[in-house]
Amino acid sequence: MLKNDITVEICGTSGDGTIAAGGLLNEAMSRAGFSVIAYDSYPSEIRGFGRCVTKSRFGLEQMLAFSDKVDVLISLNDSQSYSRTPFLAKNAVVLFDNKPLAKVKEGGSIAAHVGPDANLFGVPLINLALEAGAVRKGKNLAALGAFVALFGLDPDFFRPVITNKFKTKGAEVIETNIKIFDAGFNSTLNNYGEQAVEALFAPVKNKNKGKILVSGNAAIAKGALDAGLELYFGYPITPATPIMEIMAKELPLKGGKFQLMEDEIASIGAVIGGSYAGKRAMTATSGPGLALMAEMISLGVMTEIPAVIIDAQRAGPSTGIPTKTEQSDLHAAVFGGPGDSPRIVIAPTNVKECYEYIVKSLQLAEKYQTPVIMLTDCFLNNRVENVLLPEKSSDQMKDCNIYPDNSEKGNYKRYKITESGISPRAVPGMEGFVFSSTGLEHTNDGKPADTPQIHMEMNEKRHRKILNALNDLPEPEEFSTEKLLDLGLITWGSSVGAALEATLKAQKKGLKVGMLKVPAIYPYHSDHISNFMNRCQEILIPELNFTGQLANLIGHLHKKVVLRLNQTTGEPILVCDIINRVEDILAKINK
Amino acid sequence: MAGDHFIVIGNGPAGSQAAFTLREKAPDAEVSIITREREGCCHSHLLPKFLAGTVSKKDLFAISFDDYIKKGIKLRTGQSIVNVDISKREVLLDHKEILPFSGLIIAVGGKPRIPEPLLVFKDLLYPLKSFSETTIWQKKLLNVDSILMLGGDLTSLAVTKALLTLEKKIYFMLNEDAFWPLRFNKTLYKEVSRKLTEKGVEVLTGLKIKSIARISEDVCRVRIDDQEIEAGLIGAFFGLVPDVKFLVRSGLQIDRGILVDEYLSTGIEGIYATGDCAQIYHPELHDYWISIGTKNAKALGRLAAVNLLGGMEKTKVSKESIFDIDGIKVNTSWWSEF
Repeated sequence: MLKNDITVEICGTSGDGTIAAGGLLNEAMSRAGFSVIAYDSYPSEIRGFGRCVTKSRFGLEQMLAFSDKVDVLISLNDSQSYSRTPFLAKNAVVLFDNKPLAKVKEGGSIAAHVGPDANLFGVPLINLALEAGAVRKGKNLAALGAFVALFGLDPDFFRPVITNKFKTKGAEVIETNIKIFDAGFNSTLNNYGEQAVEALFAPVKNKNKGKILVSGNAAIAKGALDAGLELYFGYPITPATPIMEIMAKELPLKGGKFQLMEDEIASIGAVIGGSYAGKRAMTATSGPGLALMAEMISLGVMTEIPAVIIDAQRAGPSTGIPTKTEQSDLHAAVFGGPGDSPRIVIAPTNVKECYEYIVKSLQLAEKYQTPVIMLTDCFLNNRVENVLLPEKSSDQMKDCNIYPDNSEKGNYKRYKITESGISPRAVPGMEGFVFSSTGLEHTNDGKPADTPQIHMEMNEKRHRKILNALNDLPEPEEFSTEKLLDLGLITWGSSVGAALEATLKAQKKGLKVGMLKVPAIYPYHSDHISNFMNRCQEILIPELNFTGQLANLIGHLHKKVVLRLNQTTGEPILVCDIINRVEDILAKINK
Repeated sequence: MAGDHFIVIGNGPAGSQAAFTLREKAPDAEVSIITREREGCCHSHLLPKFLAGTVSKKDLFAISFDDYIKKGIKLRTGQSIVNVDISKREVLLDHKEILPFSGLIIAVGGKPRIPEPLLVFKDLLYPLKSFSETTIWQKKLLNVDSILMLGGDLTSLAVTKALLTLEKKIYFMLNEDAFWPLRFNKTLYKEVSRKLTEKGVEVLTGLKIKSIARISEDVCRVRIDDQEIEAGLIGAFFGLVPDVKFLVRSGLQIDRGILVDEYLSTGIEGIYATGDCAQIYHPELHDYWISIGTKNAKALGRLAAVNLLGGMEKTKVSKESIFDIDGIKVNTSWWSEF
């Protein structure tokens, strides 16, 4: 039987070329027509000895999440790979270097740590790299060649990808790397030809035509550029830095301005300043940076100036574990401002939505004159998928600012009280539309004021405006076929994929389980969420934080206490963990 | 026994029986099996039936992987030993891992025998003695219609029967001296030939292979004296020889197999050999003998384990048995001349 869905992990230590090999594998498999979802996990230290793992799932249909088990483990460093063996699927393939440079003591090889059902394939990875004239770290290319041979894949999908990867390093480097790849391929074919593992299913030719293999970070950057971003200010922080790196390169080419700032406070300050001047501006950060931005975001709320902030969440608090994923900034994003400072918080759930929601965020920020925080997380920022992104269109670049009517010229009230809460916004330089902006509470023409009535009116206006934004925010999406459900899952952000796969599996078993995806975190669609909750006997909210931050936010909408599945492992939530919890809950219900 | 690490090389009937006996009698010791095979201990006599599709994979394997895990036996599949250092008391695996042992039982079994004149064609000959070799046959049979059977050991007759059920054209090169481990007498030779012919097998007798050439992925042209035939698959059935090449530098006494006394001891303390790979000294015959058959292998595996743990049990000659393969009766015994 051909395999139609496999999960591959490459594991090594820093410097083994693990992440690079994963990138090449994903790109080539995408070219070959497979659906790809992949994610890298690496140590928080910039350089040193830590475990690097790149996990990829290849299939025919769009992948929602990672599978719980690993079908193929490629070990570039056995001492790091031991820890991955508990995750091996039955009869998993383990590809490892069977000719290390020195003998190893008992237990020093991955071969000592796998179960009897594992299919070990030893390939002399380092030797092949050295024989090809490279240094030992070229073993990653030999491993890729071996993988291709074992699974009967066409090496011609890989060679162009390798060439492209090393194109800036010259013909000699390209040639050496191709040579190592070929050596791994040929050696494996010669040694295991007749014993090669089951072939993968043949992907449909041209299936991925038009699709690009892109990470969440790259999709955000591309979306922002397609939406006509004009200014980017940033300060590096994992896992958001790649957005800044792309912007540094690409934005000036499109006529925009990129500025590396001295810290996150300066970054958000510059974004607000740029937006004040009428430019489309954004920044990207992570939890610690968001904390620093809190006051400036409040300034944006008070002055009603657009700002888009990507918060690529990572395990916290404080510096936390920079390279591990978590969904624990929801409270900080929604409530993390002094005073009553409502802002829009939106959370994409996959790479395609990273693209779509950054476009939407920039537009919402303009239309509602407010900071918009787009909550992603390390898993979503770093994971790659091959997706069909929308064509760049003039709609994406549309100026969504609501400008004042000419009739207001000379008598312009920047903070006019309106039914929608949106006060038409002039930008500096518009003749006859002079106004002042301040972080102090202000009158409708922007002058500082501290009367109870004005503060109450303005507070009410600012909240009304944000609540009205609900009309433009993506609605919750339901995945169920039943009217009444025993259990409803409500999820957000990167956990949606795993929850959806768990839900579909439960439904396949005939269980009355449904799922609601909530992309708008604040304001949220309370009616829609309540309706769903009312049709469910129990509600379970799986998320990657300790207390259940979405549950804290929306749990009150349910007539009963909502159930929680909170994980802070630093890793994406697993489908099996959700299924196990679902089955436990259903067992109690049906008792 | 706590702190002891007993290593068994090989997971056939003898090796697995040795490991389970060690586990039973030395519950605190660490017991590991190293086997080159990827699968578990299989009923090799059922392989032809598995090929014919009348036996499932599940039925083929006597012991499940879970059984080893439950018993706390570390089974390392797909791993080979390249050297045994008797002075340091450690084995070296192909992937350069060193395993120290306090006791060692070598039960590597046999590997398919290819007679010297045919060694030049080795890459074109397909034995069928293990599960992995059977899966290769399965794949090949999907694309070939004709098979040339060479040799004439007991397996060949069972495989021929299986292939007939798959409606394949079979050529059988039957040579009087090719039957292994026995030699045919004239009567038996004629009987086998007649039975095969009756079943539609084209029996080629008294001939010699001059050349084999692969003319395509699934066709080989075989020149036999003046005759030329085309076969999709050429099976090699010349029995087994002890697979002990990895021990040549070990210092253990090797003839065709590992020489052991009637207690299965190699003469090196704590190192025993058992099953098909052992040449066992028979004090009554004053000569070395080799065993065949699952039943005997199991008995020897148990015995090696018992003696490794301090027992002093001697090997015994089993009674004569008769193989009956599809009406062809072959007299042999559990102890056969090598």
